[in-house]
Amino acid sequence: MAQSGSDRRRITGPEESRAPVFDDEDSVPWRIGEPRRGRGAKDIRPIFLKAGLISQANGSAYIETQRTKIACAVYGPRQSKSSAYSENGKLNVDVKFAPFSCPVRRAPLRDAEDRSVSVLMHQALVSAVRLELFPKAVIDIFVVVIECDGLDSCIASGTVACSTALANAGIEMLGLVMSCAAISVGDDIWLDPTGEEAENAVGSVILACMPALSTVTSVRQVGSMPPATAMQAMDICQERCTDIHQVVAQALLASTKNSE
Amino acid sequence: MASLLVSDTLRALTFQRLHPRTYLERLLAEDVRPDGRLPSEWRDISVNVGSISTADGSALVRIGDTTIVCGVKAEIAEPELDLPDQGFLVPNLDLTAMSSPKFKSGPPSEEAQVLSDRLNDALLAANVVPLESLCIQPGKAVWVLYVDATCINYDGNAFDATLVAMVAALKNTTLPKAIYIEERGRTTCTRKVREPLKLNCSPVAYTMGVFGENTILLDPMAFEEPLLDASLTIVLDEKRGVLFVSEIGYFNLAGEDLLTKCIQLAKQQHEFVANRLYGG
Amino acid sequence: MDTSTVLPGQPISVPRGPAPQLGEGLYSSKGQIRSSLVGVPVYDGPSLSVSRPRPLPHPPAPNSVVLGHVTRLSPQHASVAITVVDGVPLPPGEEFTGLIRAQDVRATEKDKVKIGDCFRGGDVVKGIVISLGDARSYYITTARNDLGVIFATSEAGATMEPVSWLEMRCPKTGKIEKRKCAKPEGL
Repeated sequence: MAQSGSDRRRITGPEESRAPVFDDEDSVPWRIGEPRRGRGAKDIRPIFLKAGLISQANGSAYIETQRTKIACAVYGPRQSKSSAYSENGKLNVDVKFAPFSCPVRRAPLRDAEDRSVSVLMHQALVSAVRLELFPKAVIDIFVVVIECDGLDSCIASGTVACSTALANAGIEMLGLVMSCAAISVGDDIWLDPTGEEAENAVGSVILACMPALSTVTSVRQVGSMPPATAMQAMDICQERCTDIHQVVAQALLASTKNSE
Repeated sequence: MASLLVSDTLRALTFQRLHPRTYLERLLAEDVRPDGRLPSEWRDISVNVGSISTADGSALVRIGDTTIVCGVKAEIAEPELDLPDQGFLVPNLDLTAMSSPKFKSGPPSEEAQVLSDRLNDALLAANVVPLESLCIQPGKAVWVLYVDATCINYDGNAFDATLVAMVAALKNTTLPKAIYIEERGRTTCTRKVREPLKLNCSPVAYTMGVFGENTILLDPMAFEEPLLDASLTIVLDEKRGVLFVSEIGYFNLAGEDLLTKCIQLAKQQHEFVANRLYGG
Repeated sequence: MDTSTVLPGQPISVPRGPAPQLGEGLYSSKGQIRSSLVGVPVYDGPSLSVSRPRPLPHPPAPNSVVLGHVTRLSPQHASVAITVVDGVPLPPGEEFTGLIRAQDVRATEKDKVKIGDCFRGGDVVKGIVISLGDARSYYITTARNDLGVIFATSEAGATMEPVSWLEMRCPKTGKIEKRKCAKPEGL
């Protein structure tokens, strides 16, 4: 449902509109006990990653994992708009979902989800960036989610894209940050869940780490999971991050080769 | 040697940064533009459709480095009382902070608002989607097509790229079969049956900048845009008819007739690209 | 494939002997030297650094040579939109705010400086950053012969030539305007 209300800065349609209601199901729902459809429980979707597509930015990256598509750009170090002097630089992560990126249209007015996704990505990245080298300045990362298939996986993929874009921009980092999401379904742990799969989850984990330094930078766990399952999910995510690191390394090396 | 080259490039870039207008004047005296084009050269344009599964229709358009992605989302609403059989077309362009250092995050800038308004005017003037064709049940339910375009990379001439992206996305749009059920006062749809949207026409926009007295720069890039004295946009339909003209800035129509010349330039390019843009 | 390119976090092995001085793009943690950039490690004497494939425009730091346009004048200072830092231009649309305070305009007779007799809006100024300044701006000095206005347009719209370190002349009208001029390079 979209309410346009008093937005004077955009072309608005009718006062109120609703997403269509369907009388038939899209597909047969998955039931507990069935194996995961389309891939193995611990498999992630194939990653297409390219660095340096946005020519106007200092650095950028585009990531696609089947139906998840995210672009991000790094600007700065640039002048901070805040009025407080700070000895260290600041990292600003700003995530925006395109209105057509989700099953139901996202009205362009900034919603709370954009903010919380920004916070999670910021948390995953901030400890890796050498902010002490940029006193008083700010590094802006802008992320646009073009298509989202699974919010947790989208946060993880977005983090990977940001870290690639930071490296592409030549911002000094302690290491490359990788991230992976997992859900607990029945007795199983599924990695990199799609939106449909996530509906069956009882709990979820998003882990971000720097594989080169064997360091975790951020973990978010929600929902009910026995501690052992949560730990196991984190372990598998961390393992998979090492594989993703390879993909990122390839993309970065390819981009430096192109710029020569 | 290599470092000498680097310092030469930096010196040229420094000059460009400090004296953009003089820089452009000097280049144009040599008949060349900052990206190596001739003043009379358009950039390549490419269109890809249908890659976004969450949209009812989508398109990605590139003009040079400028990249616009557009998605159409169909929703259902009650029609206006005085227009009981007309649906809604709601086009908006978001110039994201990601796409250029010029843009800031937050609500749409003046520039984005002006562009969205002009796009709306052009789509309506061309009657791209007849609003009556969006009627489900007169006075009860109509389709609202939200045509949202997002700028991914901004290197000038967002209008042309966005108009093509919007038209291509609409052309790619299919709507589920919808039936208004009188007793329940609501509309239900079927996933199985989807019908393509019928477009009345497929317009293409051609923007030209005027620099100084009468240098015409076709398809201006981001560096050139703020230096232009005027800019002119011509929207043409399949039959090469002029649907819409918009002009910004001081434009000397006396003497040599620039407007006629620009329309002619647009028609020449139209001959060349129109057929391949929307895939027939 | 080029095997010498390293990635952020990648350990760098150094030959036995005295530890190298770490330049740009490297850091040391728990006795291990690692890269913090994508690039190729290069020795320059005892100093080891990882070079970027292209220069990153960096924010002004103390002693940075900066170029920019004068945007605003007040009796106490001139505001400058910095667009070039240490010879590297910032990307279009990006700038840093600099401030030339009256006491930092020239080295002599500091208390007699009238900002309006030294700069005008639109002048291009060359200066050196003295400090990171306050929250908003970087403090810049022009108190050196080679610093000050390097490009200015006269009231008649022509590019002026410096005639002394205090004055510039309009080639169109011959009128003299006051500026704190930088001594032209190569003189």
